[in-house]
Amino acid sequence: MWLILSASHDFHAQWAFTQLQQRGLEPIEWITDQQFAYANCWEHYVDQQGCSVTFKLTDGRTIHGQQIRGVLNRLLTFSTDHFVLAKQSERLYAAQEMNAFFASWLHSLPCPVLNSPSATGLSGRWRHISEWIWLAYQAGLQTDLYQESDLTPRNLYHMQGQLSPPTPSTQTVIIIGQHVLGHSMPPMVITGCRELAQLAQTSCLEINFSVDEKERWFFSGASPLPALIETGEAGLDALATIFFGW
Amino acid sequence: MILICGIPSETPITLVTKALTNLGVNYVMFNQRNFKNMSMRFELNHGQITGLLSINGHHYPLERFQGVYTRLMDVQQLPELATEPPNTLVRQNAQILHETLMHWYEIAPIRVVNRTEPMGSNFSKPYQSQLISKHGFLPPETIITNNPEAVQCFWNKHKQIIYKSISGIRSIVQTFTEDDLSRLDLIRWCPTQFQLFVPGTNIRVHVVNTAVFATSIDSKATDYRYAVNQVGNSAQLTEVKLPDELAKRCVDLTQSLGLIFAGIDLKITPNGDVYCFEVNPSPAYSYYESHTGQPIAEAVASYLANKST
Repeated sequence: MWLILSASHDFHAQWAFTQLQQRGLEPIEWITDQQFAYANCWEHYVDQQGCSVTFKLTDGRTIHGQQIRGVLNRLLTFSTDHFVLAKQSERLYAAQEMNAFFASWLHSLPCPVLNSPSATGLSGRWRHISEWIWLAYQAGLQTDLYQESDLTPRNLYHMQGQLSPPTPSTQTVIIIGQHVLGHSMPPMVITGCRELAQLAQTSCLEINFSVDEKERWFFSGASPLPALIETGEAGLDALATIFFGW
Repeated sequence: MILICGIPSETPITLVTKALTNLGVNYVMFNQRNFKNMSMRFELNHGQITGLLSINGHHYPLERFQGVYTRLMDVQQLPELATEPPNTLVRQNAQILHETLMHWYEIAPIRVVNRTEPMGSNFSKPYQSQLISKHGFLPPETIITNNPEAVQCFWNKHKQIIYKSISGIRSIVQTFTEDDLSRLDLIRWCPTQFQLFVPGTNIRVHVVNTAVFATSIDSKATDYRYAVNQVGNSAQLTEVKLPDELAKRCVDLTQSLGLIFAGIDLKITPNGDVYCFEVNPSPAYSYYESHTGQPIAEAVASYLANKST
């Protein structure tokens, strides 16, 4: 069995689910954060023999960890809708507990999990743009001058790992495992993107570039939640290769 | 020059600043409570990081700092913001200053104790436990569940179990007793972590780079940190020397988590089995140093200043 985990409104996850199903990746289940929130039963064991997890959803599905052959993990956070009547301090505590719990059972799965959970994101590490630019430079990608000061207002794009919103000159490269997917990418960009994904320890990564009039590709941001639909058949081939190949 | 970030009066900070002074190493204090008189900027240009930190009118080029020791508290909880309404400019400015600081030291190619990202593994105890196990430390048998029947089975099997939070929040270890059966249904709201109680000797190991300081803790409390509340007496701390192999494993574990400084909680059973419960990435080591005299602060200061101890 394969799993796709995401927020209920994640149409990239929905697309991947439908398309992979049509390619014969069966059985495949799409489970949303809201379905997890109302799960009837969770049992997660950690001991000297290893780890195991079983959960039962309200729609009758029961998932055992050992049945899972691969996970496309696009969970951002855990839904706390069902705690709406609790005091805020209790809701926050419960949300922290659930995030910690999800990180553990996802990490415990022996199969490929794209992406593995981290302390700063259930579906991979969200970095500030300053850190991404630093890593991109280490990976051999071209980077522009970046400046930061306590006197400038907080920039929400920077917090999400982007220099700015996309423009007509923005080119996007998506990494899925070893596969580098994009259009008209110079060889150095392909190599640099692979290296960046390695440095970032993130298997599914969207990397954005600003391309100038001299066709130079400058790194402009990255996200562990790539726009999968943009990859089309090539992206589905990459996912299928990883999941069938394990 | 070393940058110290936090509250100057906090003992772990005080001990390190004293140690730096004893080593003849200059330091600058980023006193969080003084945020209104501080400013910071940095730039990243083709892999080179430069910038300026200004404190009370004094200006410090960031390139002059060779190390950072950071024990930042939550900015929004600073006493100077206690009477500030939510989302005021003062609160936002304090937050942005601290974020600029953290963004800088997260990437600066200098010695940082500890960077933010590696400290994150502690946000999930069972997640961290899986990382710890790779170094040969035994994990206590654990179930995390919202199913009361599963807990009942676990208790029936092991007879002595404890429960605690999964994350680092409200992390107080409590013994599960018959009195808790009546409220076990509450876990249906949120999975809770239960563990086999492991008998043995608590050992806290502080690792600073490759230096190892081990302390044995004697207490009848379930959680010796709260021994006075739990059993009426404080714990007894004694310096001990670990076998070389175990000390090396502690160093390797710390490094594998990307940490320079860690407080590792071990328990050694009468059989000699070594369990590891947690790696604390921001250890309040002063409690142990004050009881044993171990030169932990000196080791931190020496590492920051790149001096051998």
